[in-house]
Amino acid sequence: MARISIRNVSKSYGALRVLQPFSLEIEEGEFVVLVGPSGCGKSTMLKVLAGLEPATEGQILIGDRDVTDLAPGDRDIAMVFQNYALYPHLSVRENIGFGLKMRGTPKAEIAARVEDAARILEVTPYLDRKPRDLSGGQRQRVALGRAIVRQPQAFLMDEPLSNLDAKLRVHMRAEIGALHKRIGVTTVYVTHDQVEAMTMADRVVIMRGGEIQQIAAPDVLFDQPANLFVAGFIGSPGMNFLRADLRDGRLSLFGQDFATGRAELPDGPVVAGLRPEHLTLADAPVRFEIRPTLVESLGSEKYVYFAEDAVWTAGGEEDRSRGLIARVAHGGALAAGQPLQLGFDPARLYLFDAATGMRL
Amino acid sequence: MRRTRLQSLALYATVALALLIILFPVYWLLVTALSTSAELYALPPSFWPEDANWGMFAQVWQDRPILMWLGNSMLAALGAVALSMVVSVSAGYALSRYRMRGGATMGLFVLTAKMLPATLLVIPLFSIFRNYGMIGSLWTLVIAHSTMIVPFATWMLKGYFDTIPRELEQAAMVDGCSPLGAMVRVVLPVAAPGLAATALYAFVLSWADYAYARTFLVNAPGNWTANLGITTMQGEYVTYWNEVSAAAVFVALPVLVIYLFLERYLVGGLTAGAEK
Repeated sequence: MARISIRNVSKSYGALRVLQPFSLEIEEGEFVVLVGPSGCGKSTMLKVLAGLEPATEGQILIGDRDVTDLAPGDRDIAMVFQNYALYPHLSVRENIGFGLKMRGTPKAEIAARVEDAARILEVTPYLDRKPRDLSGGQRQRVALGRAIVRQPQAFLMDEPLSNLDAKLRVHMRAEIGALHKRIGVTTVYVTHDQVEAMTMADRVVIMRGGEIQQIAAPDVLFDQPANLFVAGFIGSPGMNFLRADLRDGRLSLFGQDFATGRAELPDGPVVAGLRPEHLTLADAPVRFEIRPTLVESLGSEKYVYFAEDAVWTAGGEEDRSRGLIARVAHGGALAAGQPLQLGFDPARLYLFDAATGMRL
Repeated sequence: MRRTRLQSLALYATVALALLIILFPVYWLLVTALSTSAELYALPPSFWPEDANWGMFAQVWQDRPILMWLGNSMLAALGAVALSMVVSVSAGYALSRYRMRGGATMGLFVLTAKMLPATLLVIPLFSIFRNYGMIGSLWTLVIAHSTMIVPFATWMLKGYFDTIPRELEQAAMVDGCSPLGAMVRVVLPVAAPGLAATALYAFVLSWADYAYARTFLVNAPGNWTANLGITTMQGEYVTYWNEVSAAAVFVALPVLVIYLFLERYLVGGLTAGAEK
């Protein structure tokens, strides 16, 4: 395992720049997740890192070696693909051993290392089968086996769980996490699923439009989002955004005027962000009455939708056409159209610059 | 969805009709080969000879250089298949995988060559081959047949390569293969059914040719292909159609045998399991 340094790497196809200059230092053994909506450049970054796409500018170091101009096979990395990319004409054993064979490893050593990898990933009974005879989860394990058997400097994973059903995805997520803890190889993992990013990563890189929005640990991203996009992307359901005017540190929202505790901020238009789980049915410093347009029950908690016309999304990435959302703990019945008291603590409010979208 | 009895009946009737149309010429060829000359001209025609003359096959084999003709056809066809596959695999792979300036236009241009009839191309080809003193050689036929096969085979293979996920090559490259190594070790084995189908098509195209063989080889009887040889069995005043038909059966057999041999490769599905 090794450090990975990505220094000012950019990628363009002709005049189209798909990756803005990108810099990231990944520590030895770190698990870094690149996350963002479709087309944000995360998979491109991974392919550039793997050497499958040449970087237009910049430099990539794995360990102390400059690998910017090296072929993928010379970078000492292993990659797991979204569709597994198992060689259909080879058996599971040959699939796992293929990389070692290409590197001229002696046959006896290949056999021993394949057996080892198969045992770790519990695919030993399937070693002589062809990929087509395996289930999705088994194929995923074989793909992982092909990666770990080489004992590379780093693992690159391109949405490896997105083809699995929800239950298996949760299971494999835990397995990949456990595998990482066990072998400790530096891992760069790409996903569009914020839950995967938040649960697996040591650090998350949030990308949008080929640009890094924020690099931080999962909890930091959630508690201290750098801008509107990150605030809206992380968290489920997404953060509620409302336009408001800040005057002497006071805001007026839902017909209530209150102090934000941020008297140091200049007056002017802001976007106020409030996470659905910070809206409560219990007593709170700011209370107001709503009429829910829709109530979705998840058993012990409910999603209460209200103020349909007040909706304002960050960057239009998520379709939240059903208005603002409160996520409240409530076991009983809540009816749409019936008056309901909600409240929040102004200390929980996030304030963003209305012009730049940066958090104030 | 279960078929109703009527739907099944219609399906079987259609298949039976198609088989009848396809197999009747083959059946008639066999009937002609086994009939006597008198039976061939009898009216109404008989649909199976009273005394099938199986000896006709031995007679043709003895009287005519069938084996030499078949050998020449085989050499020309194998040569054309080998040459065309080398060119078409490379071209089809490049068109499928690499984005290049004018690539799409070039691809379409290749296809237009297929749209021109052989009778149109035979004149410039004859002129070129004559200038190089190549008239009468089997190699000439190999090259001429390749000009006919390459355009279509290139497109057929491009279509096949398009169905193979790029991630397979990318995985192979991460595993240590060069781009060429990834193609040879991963893409070509996975594309085996497509390669087999294309090779068979190329073989049949060359095997079935008459126009080019007639134009380039007519004065070189030692290099005559089977199709050209059979036409020389037509006499000026009399043609023994049973003899011609028996020879034609010999010509049809190799393609049939090769098809039976390649059939298991022609059935796709090898890529199943490569992804999700």
